[in-house]
Amino acid sequence: MASYILRRLIQAIPIIIGISLISFLIVHLTPGSPVDKFRTPRVSPETINNLIRLYGLNESLPIQFGKWFSKFWTFPFDNTAWGYSFTDGLPVRDKIFARIPSTLWLTGMSLLVTVIVAIPIGILQAVRQYSWSDKIITTFSTIGYALPTFWLGLMLKQTFSVQLNLFPLFGQNSFGKQGDLLDLLWHLVLPVTTLAVIQVAGWSRYMRASMLEVLRQDYIRTARSKGLADRQVIFKHALRNALIPIVTLLGLTVPALLSGAAITETVFSWPGLGFLGVQAVTERDYPVVLATVMIGGVMVIIGNLLADVAYAVVDPRITY
Amino acid sequence: MTRNVDAGTLLEVRDLRTHFATADGLVKAVDGVSFSIRNGATLGVVGESGCGKSVTALSVMRLIERPGRIVSGTIRFGAQNLTEVSDDEMREIRGNSISMIFQEPMTSLNPVFTCGNQIAEAVSIHGGMSGGEARKRAIEMLAQVGIPDAKRRAEEYPHQLSGGMRQRVMIAMALSTNPELLIADEPTTALDVTIQAQILELMKALRERNRMSIMLITHDLGVIAEMADDVVVMYTGKVVEQSDVNTVYEHPHHPYTRGLLASIPRLGEKRDRLEVIKGVVPNPLNLPAGCLFQRRCPSAMPICDVAPPLQEVAPGHLSRCWLTPAGGPPSVGEDPGTQVALDAAVALSVE
Amino acid sequence: MARSEGLPVPGSRAARPATEIDEVDLVPVRTYWQLVRKRFLQHRLATIALVLMLVLVTASIAVPLIGGDAWFKTSLTHGPKDPSSLAAPLGYDNLGINIFFRLMRGLQTSLTIGFFAVLIIAGLGTTVGSIAGYVGGWVDNVLMRIIDIVLSLPTFFLVLMFVAFMGQGNVFVIIFAIGLTGWTTAARLVRAEFLRLRESDFVQAAKALGASDRRIVIRHMIPSALAPVVVASTLGIADSVVTEAALSFLGFGLRTPEASLGNMLTNAQDYFYRQPLWIWYPGITLILLVLAASFLGDGLRDALDPRQRIEA
Repeated sequence: MASYILRRLIQAIPIIIGISLISFLIVHLTPGSPVDKFRTPRVSPETINNLIRLYGLNESLPIQFGKWFSKFWTFPFDNTAWGYSFTDGLPVRDKIFARIPSTLWLTGMSLLVTVIVAIPIGILQAVRQYSWSDKIITTFSTIGYALPTFWLGLMLKQTFSVQLNLFPLFGQNSFGKQGDLLDLLWHLVLPVTTLAVIQVAGWSRYMRASMLEVLRQDYIRTARSKGLADRQVIFKHALRNALIPIVTLLGLTVPALLSGAAITETVFSWPGLGFLGVQAVTERDYPVVLATVMIGGVMVIIGNLLADVAYAVVDPRITY
Repeated sequence: MTRNVDAGTLLEVRDLRTHFATADGLVKAVDGVSFSIRNGATLGVVGESGCGKSVTALSVMRLIERPGRIVSGTIRFGAQNLTEVSDDEMREIRGNSISMIFQEPMTSLNPVFTCGNQIAEAVSIHGGMSGGEARKRAIEMLAQVGIPDAKRRAEEYPHQLSGGMRQRVMIAMALSTNPELLIADEPTTALDVTIQAQILELMKALRERNRMSIMLITHDLGVIAEMADDVVVMYTGKVVEQSDVNTVYEHPHHPYTRGLLASIPRLGEKRDRLEVIKGVVPNPLNLPAGCLFQRRCPSAMPICDVAPPLQEVAPGHLSRCWLTPAGGPPSVGEDPGTQVALDAAVALSVE
Repeated sequence: MARSEGLPVPGSRAARPATEIDEVDLVPVRTYWQLVRKRFLQHRLATIALVLMLVLVTASIAVPLIGGDAWFKTSLTHGPKDPSSLAAPLGYDNLGINIFFRLMRGLQTSLTIGFFAVLIIAGLGTTVGSIAGYVGGWVDNVLMRIIDIVLSLPTFFLVLMFVAFMGQGNVFVIIFAIGLTGWTTAARLVRAEFLRLRESDFVQAAKALGASDRRIVIRHMIPSALAPVVVASTLGIADSVVTEAALSFLGFGLRTPEASLGNMLTNAQDYFYRQPLWIWYPGITLILLVLAASFLGDGLRDALDPRQRIEA
């Protein structure tokens, strides 16, 4: 297993280089120069030139890429590794790190809610296939899955925040209540619901399908023929097998933990990484944009690896 | 085959009907099947794919699921009627007094639990043994079915074993509770011929040891000849011939049985073509009236338009055919009026 | 008593030799496409979805044609307080624009963008996937790495970046952005199919029967490989439309006076207190579109390859 992980990490290197290249290129191949936003009448050409030299923009692209790429990975030690924000001049790394906890709260909570709700629902549906409860839940699932995130967020916000005044309108904490857990949870309700509704709809279908597939198997018939009670057949024999693909799904959701909530964060003005990214794009804050994309990409690679490792742990048939 | 089999009846199935209400129509998978199994005897149930033999077995175990259900009939096991006992009572019997092994050892064992675990589970739910005792029993059983190094094998997962080994594990699991009846649904069909022979030998040894009855389902006449005391031949959900194994093999009456036996090539025989039974099995959704074998039968007569009854053509030998024991047309004539034939059917029937 | 001649005697079924196989015994044979159509129609939801989809597409084409410039013509005489009428079933918005016509125009824009984006996805995906699957070797390796790279990047964010930097509000840029980021799944599907088919028994059998490569690829491999692409494309339209709406909602996509389901929602947000219904019009349209596409995709998937179906 250890050798497998090592192999995968080595295989990931060209992919990471590829991700970096593409991100870098998109930012640098846009029409105009990255410093265009600074070209106001009040700014002198010398200042612009200084900026260009400061950000190394006068050098050739390959050299720029090389410098940026090698500096990027020093981030655990150097907080200037990702450059300085064009918007407020702060070190990009610090800005991003400050936002990570917020995003993790949001996505972590919704993942928790999803797992707690979707798995039992999926099991219920599979066991009671074709029953009324199955059909009703399927209907809700289908509709829920079709809801666009931003629309749902908008609806929830307008209904429960604006009209009914039950929940806060935006942000993560009310003024002066930093660090208050209850206040945080109160602010979390609407954004988490937005994310969770859609995720639960998707996951419960997955769980249902997986469970149905397992219940069709011969070994379930064997288990019944041994005289096992339904409860044991479902929760011991079937579930253990049905959860295997779900574990893989969990691993694949890891990347989304950091980058999957951009839209929701924007709707609720949640101070997370996604919102930062969207703002950075609006403000043409290229260093921040670049760093955000890179983080997203690396997380995907880690997530895929985690999914594969988890799969091997959970399924005794798989060895690497 | 002279074995010590007593005359007491362990299992008696009377007029079992199991129907499936599928989207395309009603499939009468088992339609009026009766047979009995004596203590310690082995009953062979033989027939082509789709004739209803597996459904019969699953009906005895009450493992039929939607859209199928047991419509009518009785299954007498000891003092109980299995079609009427409660779910809890049936679960007591399953895996305990009646055990079943299946055709595909590859997929019949749960891939995420060890072999020993699965065998131990069978024992602990019925025997009330502690965890440790159940594990010991599991290892014991593995040794009994001829698996070398049983202690280590018990910790292995099904995918680490070969097909023959897996079938042995299934047998160990089924026999771990000392059942009175073992239902074996095509136990050797998915295995190599050499492994087949080993498994059959194992089953013979175990049934002697445990004084166990076996309901052996297969389409392989060779396996039947090897193992069975009595034989039931099934065709499209009905019993068409029934007797002890010697009679069926040496004096087959029903044209279907004769066709089956004739189609087996024999060693040393020189032929240009194999014997086949002409035609195909009727579509279960669109069964013809009258004798279901009529269209394929070399001895078909006009009277076959009326479904023949199950007649006793000799003591202990039943056959669902209008032909007399000698093989000629029935006493009511080849082509009687329908009502006459129907009355004769009722009169001659042993059902 | 069996007759050896084949001549049937009238009125005597038993006399007919059993070598004749009656229609009663066999299920009638149908061609692949007939089976596909039958299976699809059996799926009630998918059929409804197809009808709904056709209705939406037709409306999006016909209504703007009829309405002409009604979708952007502001008016001082009409406003939100006007009750709904035959000419304006959904009323007028704050600028006096006829909401219904604007909605349909927005639907048209969304569908157009979705359609062309999916065209890029399908085209690019099939090309890359078939090359990778057919040629194999190092070409396959390189292409797969490229796919891995593109797949690893956060899709929506990438589209956002692309659109924002290359041309906000530009329909072509939007189509291009969505297409360029979404082709990878289709490519993987096609490649998988080609790999599978290359080694499949029926392709080997066709070769053994002497079929030419061209016949094999066209008649046997392409229908099979197309199936997952068609399904993915149907679902892809829904995805693309939602992505475009999200972009417009956030201000990166189409801007007023252009009509998009997304920017209608942005407007509706501001007026929610007074006109709560405005959020529902584009919302429901969007949801209906997604639902229709989803069920259509499901139905197509089941019809084209029943092996994939989970429910028996």
